[in-house]
Amino acid sequence: MRNKEQLEAIVGKENVSDAKEVLAKYSRDYSLVAPGTADLVVCPKTSEEVSQVVKWANENDVPVVPVSSQVHFYGCSIPKQGGIVVDLSRMTEIFEIDDYNRRVRIQPGVTWKQLTEALGKKGMRMIMPLLPPANRSVITDYLEREVPTNTVYDYGEPTQSFELVWPTGELFRLGSASVNGYPDSASKGANPSGPGLDFYRFLQGAQGTFGIVTWMNLKAEFATKIDKIYCAPIDDLALAQDFLYRVLPRRIGQEVVLLNNVDLAAILADDFDADFDRLRATLPAWSLIMIISGVRRRPEEKVAYEEKFLDQVMKNEFQKIKLVDTIPGFPGAGRKLIKMLREPWPEDKPYWKTAWKGGVQSLFFIARPVSTPLYVDIVSEVAARYGYPISDIGMYIQPIEHNRAAHMEFNFFHDPDDAAEKAVIGALYREAAQALMADGAFFSRPYGELAGMVYDRAASYTMALKRTKKVFDPKNVMNPGNLCF
Amino acid sequence: MAISKEAYNALESAVGANFISDDPAVCEGYRSGPGGYESGLGYERVMTTIPAVVILPRNTEEVQRIVKICNRYKVPYVPYSTGFYGPRSHCHVENELLVDLKRLNDYEIDEKHLYAVVGTGVIYSPFQQEAFNHGGYGIIGGGGAQASVIANLIGDGWSPLSHRVGLPHRRILGTELVLPDGEIVKMGSLAVGEDPFWGDGPGPDLRGLLRGFTGLRGCLGIVTKMAVKLLPFQPEKLEPTGIAPNTALALPPKRVKWINFQMPTKEAQVQGMVEIGHSEVAGAVTKVPLFWRAIAKAEDKEDFWDIWGKETEETIKNFHILRVLLIGFTSEEQMEYDEKVVNDIMAELGGISRPTKPSDESWLKNADSAGMWLMCGSYISVDYIIESLSQATKHGESYAEVKRKYTPPLMPDNGDPGWFQSFEMGHQGYSEFLIYWDQDEDTNGVDHFYLETSKMNIKERYYTSLLGPHQPMYLTGPKYGPNYHIFMLRVKDEFDPLWVCHPPVPLAHDEFVERAPWMKALKDWETPAEFPMPKW
Amino acid sequence: MANDRFDTPKKPVALDVTDLNNFVYDMSRCIKCKGCYWVEHTYMPGVRFSTRCPSNVWNDFDSYGAFGKMRIGTALAEGKLQWTPKLLEIIYADPLCGACDVGCKRNLDLEIELTLEAMRIKAVKEGAGPMPAHKKVAANISKEHNQFGAPHANRKKWITGDVKVADKAEVLYFPGCSASYRNPEIAQSTAKILNGSGTPFTVLAEDWCCGNTLYSVGMIDEARELAKRNVEAIKATGAKKVVTACAECYRMFKADYPKMLDIATADLGFEVVHILEYADEAIKKGSLKLTKPVEMRATYHDSCGVSRLCDPWTPWKGTRGWMGMVEPRLKRRRGRSGLYAQPRNILKAIPGVDYTEMIRIRENSFCCAAGRGTREAYPDLANSSAKHRLEEVREVGAEVLVSSCPWCKDNFSQAVKENGDKVKVMDISEVIAASMQA
Repeated sequence: MRNKEQLEAIVGKENVSDAKEVLAKYSRDYSLVAPGTADLVVCPKTSEEVSQVVKWANENDVPVVPVSSQVHFYGCSIPKQGGIVVDLSRMTEIFEIDDYNRRVRIQPGVTWKQLTEALGKKGMRMIMPLLPPANRSVITDYLEREVPTNTVYDYGEPTQSFELVWPTGELFRLGSASVNGYPDSASKGANPSGPGLDFYRFLQGAQGTFGIVTWMNLKAEFATKIDKIYCAPIDDLALAQDFLYRVLPRRIGQEVVLLNNVDLAAILADDFDADFDRLRATLPAWSLIMIISGVRRRPEEKVAYEEKFLDQVMKNEFQKIKLVDTIPGFPGAGRKLIKMLREPWPEDKPYWKTAWKGGVQSLFFIARPVSTPLYVDIVSEVAARYGYPISDIGMYIQPIEHNRAAHMEFNFFHDPDDAAEKAVIGALYREAAQALMADGAFFSRPYGELAGMVYDRAASYTMALKRTKKVFDPKNVMNPGNLCF
Repeated sequence: MAISKEAYNALESAVGANFISDDPAVCEGYRSGPGGYESGLGYERVMTTIPAVVILPRNTEEVQRIVKICNRYKVPYVPYSTGFYGPRSHCHVENELLVDLKRLNDYEIDEKHLYAVVGTGVIYSPFQQEAFNHGGYGIIGGGGAQASVIANLIGDGWSPLSHRVGLPHRRILGTELVLPDGEIVKMGSLAVGEDPFWGDGPGPDLRGLLRGFTGLRGCLGIVTKMAVKLLPFQPEKLEPTGIAPNTALALPPKRVKWINFQMPTKEAQVQGMVEIGHSEVAGAVTKVPLFWRAIAKAEDKEDFWDIWGKETEETIKNFHILRVLLIGFTSEEQMEYDEKVVNDIMAELGGISRPTKPSDESWLKNADSAGMWLMCGSYISVDYIIESLSQATKHGESYAEVKRKYTPPLMPDNGDPGWFQSFEMGHQGYSEFLIYWDQDEDTNGVDHFYLETSKMNIKERYYTSLLGPHQPMYLTGPKYGPNYHIFMLRVKDEFDPLWVCHPPVPLAHDEFVERAPWMKALKDWETPAEFPMPKW
Repeated sequence: MANDRFDTPKKPVALDVTDLNNFVYDMSRCIKCKGCYWVEHTYMPGVRFSTRCPSNVWNDFDSYGAFGKMRIGTALAEGKLQWTPKLLEIIYADPLCGACDVGCKRNLDLEIELTLEAMRIKAVKEGAGPMPAHKKVAANISKEHNQFGAPHANRKKWITGDVKVADKAEVLYFPGCSASYRNPEIAQSTAKILNGSGTPFTVLAEDWCCGNTLYSVGMIDEARELAKRNVEAIKATGAKKVVTACAECYRMFKADYPKMLDIATADLGFEVVHILEYADEAIKKGSLKLTKPVEMRATYHDSCGVSRLCDPWTPWKGTRGWMGMVEPRLKRRRGRSGLYAQPRNILKAIPGVDYTEMIRIRENSFCCAAGRGTREAYPDLANSSAKHRLEEVREVGAEVLVSSCPWCKDNFSQAVKENGDKVKVMDISEVIAASMQA
């Protein structure tokens, strides 16, 4: 009780709860990670409040579980050692939209829906991962290195400077936001690096174990002026990769994705129950989807030179790749996809990954694109041994930066209330992960039990990581139980 | 000056007798000055010395062995790739080992996946030519084509070509780091296997230990291997032409082209950068300071001063050249598109294209930093900061103001406000301020100027490169973060409890202010009675 | 004085290698960019064949590169370093090929080559240098007027029956020690070229060594005596043009004789010409006809003496003042006068020659490290440098390696033999002669 009162003194009585039904909401998510319950949920509004809460937790040896999104797939925000949940969803300010420097500064509670609408009004957009849930935190997705669908920008990550609270409670601004007096300063926060060390790196991929971000500067782009979609049915994934190796380094396209029939069916289905099975059965094995856009100036000419290049390549080198302006057999799908790929998933529709069976376990990693057909074989083979139909597996390949690498994702759909099915999925997942790892798949974001597998292999990294963690979180209060902590 | 016999023997058995020396003439060759970057200044005179022993390892295993020996026998050491960075990359204490990494010069390229793997001894121009040979290009840092790729990527690492990818941090893939106590960390995909193709993670990203905005100057370990991103280039060859000193790369006119635009005002120059960035075209966009043009034209130093002597504050104020590099990444049509867009912008802003040579003397392959020493004999870039175009285009003026007070010893330059340019398509902006002097004159003013700019940045709330080891951490620390210095020192203490790796960096500039009597008058910030580090 | 600058006193300075203090400014302004070591960046071919400093490739310590030597030289000038065997090795294991000088002068105004020469002169003056092998060469020259110590009486044995030597002519052929004793094929080929293109030539009654090794190792007094003697002897013949086929002799006459005698090249009293220049012009004029096919896939090694090191000399002395500026104005020798076009014109003019460039050419060429006394004192440096260069020959698939200096020829020939390479080493004079009708 004393804890609750002390926290209420910081954030206000109405923003602290120990009610069972409230705690239950945070105790589980879509992942297979075992549930865990915190003792309290605390909802701060300002950076200062977050700082005081964390300071308190540190002084009292109480684990802190930061949560900003309202939907979770990977188990990061399930309290594993009790403690308090710090829910940042009251922090919903969009502080600045700076179109001169193409920068936004937002709080962690800002969702994809909120941000895309606000930017849209100013003729701007964010580079986005594939169809994030509407109420997912933008900051969380970028901190966790969700891979964007846009492959054309050489500068990669949109993350710029940010403010955070260290596990020991200090408020700290890094990058160029570290100047005294920011944002009332010559510096606008466009540089995430420094001061002194690249502290920002420690919080990326950290699953909330290195601190709590209280606001972040992110790069934004201008909206495009013309968009044309090109889709190609693919039955030979290796050929599709050869094609992408050829065209993506030439800076063709904005969003480029490869989706198998299962994932694409889930995405395209208007009325899920009515449409999904039919779509799944009739869509090609894979669809290559590419959006070509004209930007600020002479947009038609930009589209024209990209189309000309693509035409030449297809005619002279890749006659089997046939890019057309929609999914063959699905009129209107093309136009629909352009809109979908620039927005989060609509909040009034069941999320495409969970609409089918209610639950999903995603196995994803970074791969050399040339290896993706091999990885399909590996996962299919493991799935078959567990009796999981290959025709039920969702697959998604996201080319990264000129196709230098790819994010590859296998989605295993399941009924979250069926313990036996979950056990099978869990075992399949583990074995597939190990087989993939042995063949060069790199699990850069090791969620749940992947962490153990990865950190066992990465001995030197694990040791250095633990030492670094010790510097910033000597008491290990910040989301203990995640990763190797 | 010596290290213990036991230590020497252990080190010799690590590399073989041919690759270690304590000979005074050999060690003298590793003196920082008197010439070079940041040369002939107080920091160099007060803080640097020559090594007691020099060692040349061949690979990561030998480096690790050396570092562990140093920890065992308490031998301070400094990692050294080319020594070009000046005093901060040289020995700072007596009886120190200099680890010359030039023999770590392995190189591999993966053309399809657009990266090359290098050892510490690989420099930029071979790296760039190999990239060109395989359809790619890298960004050669302003330090020059002679800089070590790894050292530059963990220290500085930008150029006009950073219009496309500004932060060098984003170009680092799988990396091997030997920590100050001799443990090895392999980062990115190297953490779990032999393939260096990816740089993040796993999980939290320990590439944060490699650098800050500017580097750690080697005080947090030795990077022995790094996979570096290449960007896809265009397919035509760039042919070298001419005989020294008049050499240049001939550019394929339909795929690579520089254009100089004369802009009517500074505002138009800045707006040109903004618009080009917003239009997402071009391969490089930069302002050209007037006196770089004088350097390029000058036959020799005396010629430079003839040319420069004709300029005035007025001519400087009214000289606004915007230099744009077009690259036909996709096709000739794409380059035509880029050029039309740029010309549209110039038409709106009153920019006029000037006759521009169809060649590249600097930036694509020969980043021509050595010419910076021509005029006065000594040079440093005081600040070189990636921020926004909002900051970048104002920053130089604040410098020029401070600089007037210190001219001489600084070179008279009619108030030139330095260099700025667009980075990451205008999402960022860059400003760099370069100063020149003659090290035979009284250089105390240069030492003072350096510190005064640090204070100016704090006062005016600019982000700056003068953080970490580059200026006193107890001055900058409280004002940035705040207290970034405390966290940085904690990391240093964790990984180097003996402070055996390049002591007393990162507190070397703090030490300098304490030791140099002429700096005392400028010290108006608090420091602890004793700096929290072991004494060497 | 303007108030934005110091009133820097002007100090006297001269391009005079007998006093290392003349180069303290240059040594103290070396920025460690290693433009002296690397192939010039514009021409950088990639990770292989990226260097042009034989000394620093042979020994990796910085001290063996010019940038290390500038620091060492500063310490020497300040009296801070003792002469030791290691210090002498650092200074003398170096062919003084000029790569560092030209590399540095692409961007700056520092006299690297002269500094290195001045360091050796200081070593000799202070009794520390030169190396024992050099002292032997000096003794040979003193006794028999040639580097090898072979009998002076045999010096003209290369003049066989078919070689026509005029008693008096406008053109004097200076064979040099190597062509006279070790490489008579070069002298004979040169004679054939001259005779066969309608140019009568004479020779000195008494041919003595040009003094290359003496000068190069710092024995400037002895070298100067030889220079005076040779210049007077040549003038006495009335010849207006001296032709040589040895790059070292060429460099001596063109640059180092005037330097030692404190006169300009133009004031020597005769023109200095390498057979490359002569043949190139004669082909253009039509007086030299190369009509016999010479079937070979050949490449060319730019010998240092006819490339980086042969800019004409003008004495200079003046003052240095504010910002290090010198008065009067000085047009520095940056290696622009190298004979680069000539050998290529010649080889391409010969029917049957399939010419291919090396990867490092012209001022980026990698010295074989035989010349200027280097091979005598450091045979391993010369041998390993030649073998390193032969990797390039293999890389470009050449069967014949052509150069313009007997020192290159001998050094490469030995390396080829040791490697077992299927490469023939020829001097340019031999190739030209082979293409002339008998």
